Formats: sequence, C-alpha cells, structure tokens
Amino acid sequence: MPAEALGSKSFNMGSWLAWGAAGALVLALPLLFRQGFALTLLSQMGIMVIFALSYNMLLGQGGMLSFGHAVYSGLGAYFAIHALNLIGKGVLALPVSLLPLVGGLAGALFGVLFGWVTTKKSGTTFAMISLGIGEMVAACSLMLPGFFGGEGGITANRQAGPPVLGITYGPAVQVYYLIAVWTFLATAAMFALTRTPLGRIANAVRDNPERAEFVGYDTHVVRFLQLVLASFFAGVAGGLSAINFEIVTAEAVGVMRSGGVLLATFIGGVGFFFGPILGAVIFTFFVVAISAMTKAWLLYLGLFFIAMVLFAPGGVASLLALNLSAARAGLLGRLAPAYAASAAAGLAALAGFVALVEMIYHLKLEAVNDPVLRLFGLTLDVRAAAPWVGAAIVLLAGSALYWLAWKRVRARWNEVHERLGERGA
Amino acid sequence: MTHAIELRKVAKRFGRTEVIAGVDLAIARGERHAIIGPNGAGKSTLFNLISGRFPVTDGTILLNGEDVTGLRPFRINRKGLARSFQVTNIFPNLSVFENIRCALLWALGYRYTFWRALSAAADARERAEGVIDAIGLARRRDTPAGTLSYAEQRALEIGITIAGGAEVILLDEPTAGMNRSEAAAAVALIRKVTEGKTLVMVEHDMGVVFDLADRISVLVYGRVIATDRPEAIRADARVQEAYLGTAHA
Repeated sequence: MPAEALGSKSFNMGSWLAWGAAGALVLALPLLFRQGFALTLLSQMGIMVIFALSYNMLLGQGGMLSFGHAVYSGLGAYFAIHALNLIGKGVLALPVSLLPLVGGLAGALFGVLFGWVTTKKSGTTFAMISLGIGEMVAACSLMLPGFFGGEGGITANRQAGPPVLGITYGPAVQVYYLIAVWTFLATAAMFALTRTPLGRIANAVRDNPERAEFVGYDTHVVRFLQLVLASFFAGVAGGLSAINFEIVTAEAVGVMRSGGVLLATFIGGVGFFFGPILGAVIFTFFVVAISAMTKAWLLYLGLFFIAMVLFAPGGVASLLALNLSAARAGLLGRLAPAYAASAAAGLAALAGFVALVEMIYHLKLEAVNDPVLRLFGLTLDVRAAAPWVGAAIVLLAGSALYWLAWKRVRARWNEVHERLGERGA
Repeated sequence: MTHAIELRKVAKRFGRTEVIAGVDLAIARGERHAIIGPNGAGKSTLFNLISGRFPVTDGTILLNGEDVTGLRPFRINRKGLARSFQVTNIFPNLSVFENIRCALLWALGYRYTFWRALSAAADARERAEGVIDAIGLARRRDTPAGTLSYAEQRALEIGITIAGGAEVILLDEPTAGMNRSEAAAAVALIRKVTEGKTLVMVEHDMGVVFDLADRISVLVYGRVIATDRPEAIRADARVQEAYLGTAHA
C-alpha cells in the first residue's frame, strides 16, 4: 500500500528529526545558559527525566502505581557512591563515566529481589506493597549506618581515578554533559523498549490483565520484567545523582522522593511517552528554581498538582497533543484570542494569589525583622491593610475575568472539536 | 482417538451453591458443539472452568487427552485453547491492530522479548493484518478498540480469540446483543475463522445454534441432560420440558 509506506517513512523522518533536535538542544543548552545555577538546574532536570521516564514504565505503560520507586534509584545511588569511593581508593578500576551503570545494575538487582513479590498483583495490592517496601528500605537506612551513612549520608569525590580522554569531572559543565549523554541514551533505550514485544504486552496487561492471561501471557512475569527494567533506569538516575551531588543521604530512598517522581510523572502526563520528560522539567524547576525564590514553593507545587489532576488529568503532554491536533488542522488561530485573554486574566489572578501567599509567609516568618516585602518590583508593608486589599481585589477581579475568558475558550474548543470530527469522518 | 475436550465428573461449588453438578462431556476434534440451557444453568461457569478462569471443585478436564485441571489460563492457552467472553473483554486503549498483534505474539514465539523491535516482526504484522481483514475491521485498523461500535468490538473479541491459531475455540455468546443482520454476519464470520477447528459455543439464539452446531448439549441446573445432534435435541421431550418449559402445555 503506497500511501501507508509513505506514511511510515515520513513518520520515521519526523521521529529522526525530533530525536536529532532534542540531542542538539541538549548539547547547546550550556552555551545558552552560562551561569552555574542554570547548569545545576539542567543537570538535575536530566536526572529527573530518566527517573520519571522509568517511573512511567510502571505507571503509564504497565498500569502499576508505585509509591516506592525511590527505593531503586536510591539504592542505585548508594551503590554508585560506594563504587565511586572505591575508585578513589584505587580499588576499583572503572571510569567515572560508567558509574551510572553500577547504579543501574544495583537498581535492577533490587528490582529482581523485591519485584517478584510486589508484581504478583496489580492495582491497589501493588501500590500498597510498593509503599511497604519503601518504608522498609527507609527503615533499613537508619538501621544500617555503615552502608547508608546515617544522618550525614555517604560522601565522595567525583574526581576519582585517572582521567579518561581528559575528563576529570572537576568542572560542572563536564558533569552536565555526562548527565546529558546518559539522559539521551536512557531516553532512547526506554523509547525503544516501548516498541518491543514485552513493551507492547505491558500495555495490554495495563489495559486488561485478565484478557492478557487468555492470550498466553503470565501477567505476573510481564509486570516483573517491566519493573526490573524500570528499576535499572531508576538506578541509572540514582548513579548520576551520586556523581552530581557527591553525596547520597537516606532521603534518596525516602517516601518524599517516591512521591516526587509520581508528581512529576503525573504532571507531565502518563499517557504519552514524552509526558514524563515535560513533567520532570517542570517539577525540577519547582524544586530547584522556585524553591530558591520563595519558601512557599511546596504549596505552589501542591496546588499546581491538584489543578492538573482536576482539570488536565492527562497532564501537560495531553494538553500539548490536543493543541497540536488543532494546529495541524489549521484551527489554532481560532483559539488564540481566547487563549490570550484567559492567560492574561489567569496571570492577574495568579499574581494576586501569590501576593497574598507571600504576604502571609512574610507576616509569619519575617515581619518581626522587616515588615516590608519586595514582590513584583513593589514594596509591600504587610502590616498595612492596603496591600492585602489590593492583592485580594487583583485576585478576585482576575478570577472573575478568567472565568469569563475560560468560557470563551471552551466555546471555541467545542467548535474546533466539531471541525476536527468532520475531518476525521 | 482422543477428544479435543473431555470433562469427567466436573463439579463447581461457590460456597454451598452447586453451579456445576458433575458434568461428563466429550467433544471430538473438529466438532462444532453448542451448549444451550436456561439462564443460570451454569453455561458460562462451565466455560470458566474449561479455560482455567475458575478452579474446579471436583473432576478432571482433559485437553487433547492431556490433564489441564487446575492450570492457570495462560498455560491452558499455550496448550491450544482460546476463548472469548460474553462481556466484551478487549484492550481498550490499544488500536485494533495492537489488540490482534498482542493476541498472537505468544503463539508466534515472541514470549517476553525486550531486545528486539516489534517493527522487525514481519510475521506478527502480516498475520495480524490477515486476522483484521478476516474480521472485517481493516478500515478500523488504527482505531483505539475502546471507541469501536458494539458490533465491531464483538468482532474484535472473536479476532483476539482466533488470532493465536488455537485448535480449540470457546465462544461465549458471540452474538449476544446483536440484531438479526449483525448476528447473521457474526455466524458467517465464526464459520469462516473456525474452519477445521474444534468450536464450543454458548449461545442463546436458537437460529444460530441450529445453523452452526454439529451437536448440542443441554445444560440445566448444572447438569447435562442431553447431548445429541440438533434434530434429535429438537425432538427430545426432556429438553422441551426443561428448556422450553412447554412440554406439558
């Protein structure tokens, strides 16, 4: 069928272009952002991308909601940092560049160890057991200070062993490129895995485990293998974080980190392969950048997550895909004015809300020293009434306008849907 | 000659309720066998026992002479038995093509492979497309299965069942909820895709039953009260009494 052959060829061209562009972007980013902070941010984003993608091998592709994925990344990180110390002592002859592989193998090993039990059932049973294993490993981190390093964690120096090709991992940009290369390879590998027999059967088991058993598949084995592979990539992410921070503490295996990767993956969108990449970027931006700006960052992250769950359960990726389908049909122009109006109103409401939150935080935490809060280029005296009234007015007016603007967006979308439907038929 | 399926004193109790009360049944290779009976007679339960969905309480089930009692569904499937479901049981988020391809991967020996791309598996693709043509869903190849119409989903249900090339096919009410023309199309489809295979079906539509079946078993309150050729079943007074409830009218 010539049309189909053409279709698949152009798809391949498109996907090669996409991968090439992503690779080029990753290489060029340090040239655009020269400050050390940007490099730190980008490095952590890369690590989180691998971690979130590996999480989505469970949630999005295998239908397994895990509350303990940090077990595999964290233990991978610990094994990697112990290996790094052995390299430093000259006991282990391994280039630091390959250290993430140690993390990955350790992650996979624990995947084998814990996975057979956790993957026996899917659904709530899996979620509960994963939570239990997370708690168990977190408890072990306190009981085995020799391995986990107790309160202080395990530290190491990444400038260990003889430099390979002149790479010492002294400069941060070398670490960035190490993370970039591993992120690219791991992403490509995880994408390839979705297109193998196991990857596809994992989707089938996610959709309908019972039916999968009646076409010859042991769903327990499918889930188990999927979890072991996901644990490998989680361990790679852990190994990279060991190199990046040169320290691993008990937090690395903790419930917070397990919850974080769930948040990141869900925000990005579990239904698309690239969703967790977006989620990891947004999540890391909150954790690294917004946390540097405000103490209320966790509140903002939580509210953002709730908003996503309520209004865009498919995540950022589904919103993108939706608009992309409109753009392909040349209908994005119809949406743009409504989008612009709702964005303006939404930003105003957000500014009012942020002002209120920041003033509350300032009043409770800082006002004793200095009642003046500097925000959006304004100086606000949190002891006076005017800033509070002003912020509340901005919030209420912005919300009302947003509500009106959003109705227009919906109306426009209904039109677009009809047009798309006509084309599809 | 060994039978395709043989049930020896098979019984199933849920708590104190006896749903299947010692069924003996032998179905020959290549036979098209229908199981009929009033609602609640245990027809679907019998299928669930044969296919391994539920464990039996008592008795033995043989598939091609081999004891398969107590095996998990995937093991029974690997020995050459495939089944469909009364309530459509498909992979809703996967496309029609992926539904069918997933259903035949094990049979083609792909097992749990994660080191080879599916795009290189030409045999799986070609066979999946052959099945999709056979069930008449070629135009819906890339449509997510969950968005198909009811009749299309029923066709896909049969497609998933026969895709792996199993020699023994169990169809649970394949024409349930269909109108007359849809049912006729389904019968033609079933006839075509089960050519040369052993077919066992539960069916309410007597037109379909007498049209397709070589032999019929009548199940009433968990017991097989008669197994015979369609014309003999039609004439059987016990069947008329138990099933049609009109014998003494």
